[in-house]
Amino acid sequence: MNLDQALITFIAESRELLEDMEAALLRMEGQGEGDPETVNAVFRAAHTIKGSAGLFGLDAVVAFTHVFENVLDALRDGRLAFGGELAALFLECGDHLQGLILRVEAGELDAPPPPVEAELLKRLRAFLADEGSKKAETAPPKTQLPREKEASVRPLGGNGVQTDHWHISLRFSPDVLRHGMDPLSFIRYLGTLGQVLHVQTLSDALPALTEMDAESCYLGFEIAFASEASKAEIEGVFEFVRDSADIHILPPNSQIEEYIRLIHELPEDDLKLGEILVRCGTLTDSELTRALADQRAGEEAGAARPLGEILVESQSVQAPVVDAALDKQQQIKTQKQQETRFIRVDADRLGQLINLIGELVITNASAQLQAQRAGLSDLIEATSSMARLVEEVRDSALSLRMVQIGATFSKFQRVVRDVSRELGKDIELIITGGDTELDKTVVERIGDPLTHLVRNSMDHGIESAEVRRARGKPATGRVILNAYHDSGSIVIEISDDGGGLNRERILKKALERGLIEPGHNLSDREIYQLIFEPGFSTVDQVTNLSGRGVGMDVVRRNINELRGSIELDSEEGKGTTIRIRLPLTLAIIDGFLVGVGASSYVVPLDMVKECVELRGEDMAKSTKGYLNLRGEVLPLVRLRELFDTRETAGGPRRENVVVVGYGDMKAGLVVDALHGEYQTVIKPLGPLFSGARGIGGSTILGTGDVALILDVPLLVRVASSHEPALTA
Amino acid sequence: MSKTIMIVDDSASLRQVVALALKGAGYDVIEAADGKDALSKLTGQKVHLIISDVNMPNMDGITFVKELKQNPSYKFTPVIMLTTESQEGKKAEGQAAGARAWVVKPFKPEQMLAAVSKLILP
Repeated sequence: MNLDQALITFIAESRELLEDMEAALLRMEGQGEGDPETVNAVFRAAHTIKGSAGLFGLDAVVAFTHVFENVLDALRDGRLAFGGELAALFLECGDHLQGLILRVEAGELDAPPPPVEAELLKRLRAFLADEGSKKAETAPPKTQLPREKEASVRPLGGNGVQTDHWHISLRFSPDVLRHGMDPLSFIRYLGTLGQVLHVQTLSDALPALTEMDAESCYLGFEIAFASEASKAEIEGVFEFVRDSADIHILPPNSQIEEYIRLIHELPEDDLKLGEILVRCGTLTDSELTRALADQRAGEEAGAARPLGEILVESQSVQAPVVDAALDKQQQIKTQKQQETRFIRVDADRLGQLINLIGELVITNASAQLQAQRAGLSDLIEATSSMARLVEEVRDSALSLRMVQIGATFSKFQRVVRDVSRELGKDIELIITGGDTELDKTVVERIGDPLTHLVRNSMDHGIESAEVRRARGKPATGRVILNAYHDSGSIVIEISDDGGGLNRERILKKALERGLIEPGHNLSDREIYQLIFEPGFSTVDQVTNLSGRGVGMDVVRRNINELRGSIELDSEEGKGTTIRIRLPLTLAIIDGFLVGVGASSYVVPLDMVKECVELRGEDMAKSTKGYLNLRGEVLPLVRLRELFDTRETAGGPRRENVVVVGYGDMKAGLVVDALHGEYQTVIKPLGPLFSGARGIGGSTILGTGDVALILDVPLLVRVASSHEPALTA
Repeated sequence: MSKTIMIVDDSASLRQVVALALKGAGYDVIEAADGKDALSKLTGQKVHLIISDVNMPNMDGITFVKELKQNPSYKFTPVIMLTTESQEGKKAEGQAAGARAWVVKPFKPEQMLAAVSKLILP
């Protein structure tokens, strides 16, 4: 006897069954109804074929018969009424099954199913749908037996460690023997999954000899079990005594961490608490079913309790695992809520909208001006309320482009992980301020410079573990990414707790490279700023990651292109912090319009701190290039001289100072007239002006005149460092 | 001495494949086509486990198990019932009759072996 012979039996048997089925069907059709015995015979034929086909692995036969059987089952249970249509369909199904059996005989089962199969299935399912049963949809037959697809959970540190094993607690019900179940056989079978380290037999429940029933089981067992099997696999051992025993399976300690890790790694689906726990393997389906039943019972008794509590109490799951799962659930929920609030919009269309709003802002300014010139108060009122609306539209349009930087930051988890492996250093990344919003264009373009800076921090900043220990720091290095709003700019910080910059080495290198002249007295900050100069690299050993001397200057250029700036703080031995300061948006800003001679200039409003009238003694001092602002030295920039502006007839009547701040530096801009707030659409300057420093862009005024937008960060730097480098 | 398993099913091919798998694993196998046939073949000899289908002609599995449990020789013999998931109702009937172990049809021979070895090792 072998499998081929059994297959021949199967084919003969199926033929016979199908013939019987056909006869029964014809009989039913003739009678116009099916008596229970005949219907059952038809059902049994399909059922038997399905069962045997499964044994032979004839999945095509099983799949089709499964649906067929479901319809027959519905008919048998009286959920479907027999009719001519059904009879015809059943006969066709029988024919199709015969065809399938023929294929089995010819060994052609791998051939694609004939088109008639899909059609038959559709018709069969239609009956099931009519009948309202969902059973047909549970298509692939489930088996309660070996859970092959179960993600197996393996302990991290291998198995066999005495202190790290599963603990299984078994309390059999007295009638377990009467059900034909031998407790010993399960423990024996458990041995095939791993190593049974110790079995403690509990005989407390054993009654006095006179009262003892020889057919009852009074014993409980505590088992120490070392295995790499998953909890579900272990529970599967006791599948047949689940109803007649009290079973607790406690995972090894290392396994708990593993469960928590798996929970964190679960895909972001909308899961219930129980589902999360089952997915990570700590809870089995049957434990969940029992806990849910407990919960329902509690509800009916008027004492509803959360599922997690029930699970912890019944020792199905450990409290830390439940906590991790609840966290995960919360996290998914929050993300889901955010997701549903989003719609995807083509970035180009958004850009177009913002351009149009820019034009609207300009046109509106012009309308307002015309109204004022005409002196019609009604018109002035109308245009100013329109201006307010335009401003609101502008703000909301711009906010459409704002995205959280968190997603960009999160990508660095992977970068840090990979780079720390590559470098053989243990480094963790901490992210804060991920909800800070900034313009999408900026976010897109900040990725590369950030990557470079993070890698740089990891490579040059963080020391090796030995050095760190010697310096009394934790062996694990730390890189922190942070973002926050600060007076109209976004600040992104990359800090590390590494060795910091070596002042002397930078100086030496800068001298070698001719970046500075000997004898210059430079502040620490100025020295650190040198590393952003082209062709500068202090590390003698060029590594794979950074230190080719092309990095930092490129980073600075990228940031400058975004109208941002970069600065660096460092303390030797303690660490380095790099601060990138970026404008909130690139398209439209609130400006402050000032006049110098016949020209108009726009200062970004966010950077304006205050305005001061220049008179008397201040006027005299201002010619020296600074001003006493409430006891503080305020360096001045004379825009008239800087840009060599055309004069209006008669010269300026008086001068004003606009105090601007950028970061923690301040400067005063000496101008003639203060025109006030002005919505500014930034138009980039043509290539002709690419050499012009101190100007960041241009804008069109309501009058149709062009005003230049001042590059305040640069002006502030120039003013405070007496850098004579500006030529307009 | 190897342990004996009886397989009760109206499908000869199913019996053959299961028997083949069980014999391969070192069990002795007795086959029966339905409940009536099985009872007639159980004449007091030691049988360690019985695998029985539910839906069979002549005598179905539930009746068979009920009768079996009346027989002192087979009172403690474990029974694995073969069922389909569309027969959840049968499960309750089977439990009342005294069956505790279930294997869902269709199954693979190795699945049957795993179920059997949970109850008795060869």
